[in-house]
Parts: sequence; structure tokens; C-alpha cells
Amino acid sequence: MSKRSHQTNRESPLLPQSDAREAALFFVVAALCFLAALAALTARASYGAAAGWTAEVEGELTVRLRSANSRTAKDATDLISAMDSVASARLIDREEAAALLTPWFGTDGLPAGLPLPVLIEVTATPEAGNLAPDIQRGLAEAGITATVDDHSSWAGDVRSALGSVRLAAFGAVLLLVATAIAVIAFATHAALLARRDIVDVLHLTGAEDGFIASLFERRFWLLGLQAGSIGALSALGLAALLVFATGQGGERSWLLPRLSLDFWDIFILLCTPILAGFAARGAARLTVIRTLAGTV
Amino acid sequence: MITAMSRQNSNSLDAPSVRFDRVSLRYASAEDVLSDLSFELKQGSFTFLTGASGAGKTSLLKLIYLALRPSNGEVYLFGQRTSTLKRTQLSALRRRIGVVFQEFRLLDHLTAYENAALPLRVMGRKEKEYRPDVEELLRWVGLGERLNAYPATLSGGEQQRVAIARALVGKPDLLIADEPTGNVDPEMGMRLMRLFYELNKRLGASIIIATHDQNIIEKLDQPVLRLQHGLIARDNEFGAAS
Repeated sequence: MSKRSHQTNRESPLLPQSDAREAALFFVVAALCFLAALAALTARASYGAAAGWTAEVEGELTVRLRSANSRTAKDATDLISAMDSVASARLIDREEAAALLTPWFGTDGLPAGLPLPVLIEVTATPEAGNLAPDIQRGLAEAGITATVDDHSSWAGDVRSALGSVRLAAFGAVLLLVATAIAVIAFATHAALLARRDIVDVLHLTGAEDGFIASLFERRFWLLGLQAGSIGALSALGLAALLVFATGQGGERSWLLPRLSLDFWDIFILLCTPILAGFAARGAARLTVIRTLAGTV
Repeated sequence: MITAMSRQNSNSLDAPSVRFDRVSLRYASAEDVLSDLSFELKQGSFTFLTGASGAGKTSLLKLIYLALRPSNGEVYLFGQRTSTLKRTQLSALRRRIGVVFQEFRLLDHLTAYENAALPLRVMGRKEKEYRPDVEELLRWVGLGERLNAYPATLSGGEQQRVAIARALVGKPDLLIADEPTGNVDPEMGMRLMRLFYELNKRLGASIIIATHDQNIIEKLDQPVLRLQHGLIARDNEFGAAS
């Protein structure tokens, strides 16, 4: 008897160990999982970005007074402050307005003759509805000509743009998952052809299609899990890098997508190998059953 | 060993193991390999199938062990019309048939023991339950010391005996052997034949052996189904087809 004994009760797998073809498939599936996880994280991040970008403007209004002197400006501010649903109203002075224009005019100050509008920053209470018409009417009744901007146009554009990003990311996830399934189905078919001798012997010794399919399912389930894990870990690494880069992004980092790696991001990454495993397993089973159905 | 093996499956007493009803077989658009064959093999029969190379012996065996479907006619196994069976029923039927392939068809990555145990594994039996039986069977065919050897390290005769063990391990109702003496010396060939004969007499398994070895056929003096150009040419039991 050789050293290798059956006393261990361990049975050799009925399919031989993986070959070079499966190494290539492993790489492809890992890459697809990496891209799919990244696309899913991007979709998630677009929600965060939308929340971040719109939170900056939602619940706030800007009142612009035309040719107002300081007295009118103070009256307007007091009038707005006294309104229901207004949490605060603050007059933005010339220095502060100049600071807002720094990105366009630099830090050397504004040209002396440049007319600046008088601005009042209004913060609504959380339960406030559409406050703009009330402010507009109140100021008009007081004889103050003003324009009220509730930023809805900006927020709407942001939501619309991010909706497109989400749709694109979701589409990318679907496309990548479909590609992974197609690649695995192709690889399973190739593996089935390469192992035709084994499949035939199993078939002729009475193995049912489900039994033969289960051999390939097990093989590709493990491949999906392992390749998915590598892909998810790679995506995690890149996401962590982006989180770090976002943190180093300076004053306008809020413009960057917010990859926070929160619970749901980690959940997506944890699900990636499991979904890849199930997709690989399902594709393998379907391919084997369909192929065997064409035989006697 | 043989007496220790009990028959797992029971057949209805009057159903022949194999019945061909006007069976023809052709590959693609070629001419018929087998033409309008009708015969039956009773349960517990021992039959030689012979004929020149290309006469259709292997094709006929493939029809019996359900590797092929006939182009025309019906194949009945154990009284069941195979053309109407579902795939799972065909698999169950295949488990009642042991096949010794001409080229053995052992799985290279499995040991002699694992190859012999393959049908039991396919049936879903537990390894610890069947191990003693498989080891005993391999000892019986003279491979007790080669249990863990891989096919590549076995001689042609040893590989053949592993293939025979694999065909027998499921205690089949029908044993088919395609040129089982083709790769062994005459002495081993006769020993194998005596083994098949013993199986037939003690277990009652129907046996079909394809061979062109006239010496063996004459020594065992059993019914012969002789094929010539896809037709039953001459025999001492079945009646010529034309």
C-alpha cells in the first residue's frame, strides 16, 4: 500500500484540479467583480453627494434687494426675521459679499466702483414649506423691491445630474454582472468540453444531470467566491484611497463624491463575493444542464 | 466474493434483459450501421457478440448501455421501452448496467480504488459504507495491493481489471464488456472469461461480451450473436435477421 490511504475518508474530487484556463477565468471574474463593486459604490456615493450638495442649499433662501440703502436693508431683514417659518435672517455685508467673489476676483479686493447687490441670507425652519412667495409678498407690501431665490433650480439640476450618474452606475453594475455570467457560462461550457471524457463516464455509470452539474457548480461557486473576494478587496482599497483623497481635497472637497465607506458600502463589498459565487454557480448549472440535455 | 454479493434489483420474471424491435442505427447521413435488428436476451443469459471490425458490435452495445438512441425501432431494457423514459429514469436504468469499455475509460486523476467505487459514489453511497466492499472486490480481481495506484501506473491488464471492478461494484443486472480480452494475454483473457461466467451463473446477471476471439467463444460454448454489415448474420440461438 502506498502512503496515500483511504483511511482518511477523504474522497478525491470527481473533477480534476483547476487548470490554466481557470486561472485566466479567475482573473477575469475578479476584474469584473472589482468593476461591479466600484460601480455599486459609485451609485451609493452619488446619493451621498446629492445629499451633501443639496443640503447646502435646501432650507436656505437668498433675498436680493435692488438699489437698497442700509436702512431699507435692515428693515427688510427685520421684517423677514419676524415671519413665521423663518429661523434666521442675516444681512450679508459688503466684505462678506466680496469674499464670496474671491474665486473670480482674487484676494486683492473688488474694483472700487463695482456695484454689489444687497443680500439677505434666510434660513427656514425645518417644517417650513415653500417660503419664497411669502417673503416676496411681505417685502412687496412693505414697499421693498426684492428677488427671492430658493435655490430650487440649482438643487433640481443637481438631483437630475446625480440621477443620471446613479442610472449609469446601476446600468454598469447590471452590464458587468451580465458579462460575468456570460463569461462563466462560456468557461463552463469549455470546461465541460475539456472534461467530456469524465462527464461521459459519469453519465454512463448512471449519474443524473443534476449530479454532474453539481460538480461544476461547486467548482465555479468557489471560483466566484474567491475571485469576488479579490475584486471586492481591490475595490475597498481603491475606495479607501478615494476617501483619503477626498479628505485632502481642500475647501471644495464637498464637491467630490462622498465615499464614506459606511455600513452600506461595506455591505455592498461583503455581498460582492457572495453574489459572484451565486452568479457563477447558477451560470455553471444552467450551462451543464442545457449541454447535457442535448445528449442521450 | 460473488456469493457475498446480493442482487440489488429485481426484474419481472418474464421480461427479457434486452429486446431489440426492428432497430436501425445510422450516424449523420451515412448508411445504416445497424439495420432492422430484432432479438432478445433473456434474464441471466450469457451471450457473445461477434463479427468483423466495423460490423457494428460497439454501436449495438452503445444502444444497449444507452449511449446512443436508435434511428428507428425500439430498444427495451428490463421490459421498459427506453424511448419513452425521462432522463432521470434513463439514469436509473444505467445504474442497473455495468459496462467494461474497450478502452477502459478510467479517470486518470482517481486511484484504482476510487475508479472502482465510482458507480457507488454516483449513487450517493457513503464512502465508509462501501469501502470494505470495493476493497474486497479489487482484491478479488487481484488488485489488493494496487488500491491506491493511479491508472497511469497500472498495466493494461490491471487497468482492465479496475474497469471490470467498476462495472461489477454496483451489482448490475446486465453486464456488458466490449472486447475485454483485447489488451490482455490469452491466459488473462480466459481468466476474465471464467470470471464473467462465474458472475453469470452465481448472480444471475445477464452478460453480453463483444469479442472476435473465436478461441474463447468455442471454449465457453455459449450463444453467439454474429453481426455482419449491421445485420445478424448467423447465430445458434437468435435466428438470422434476413
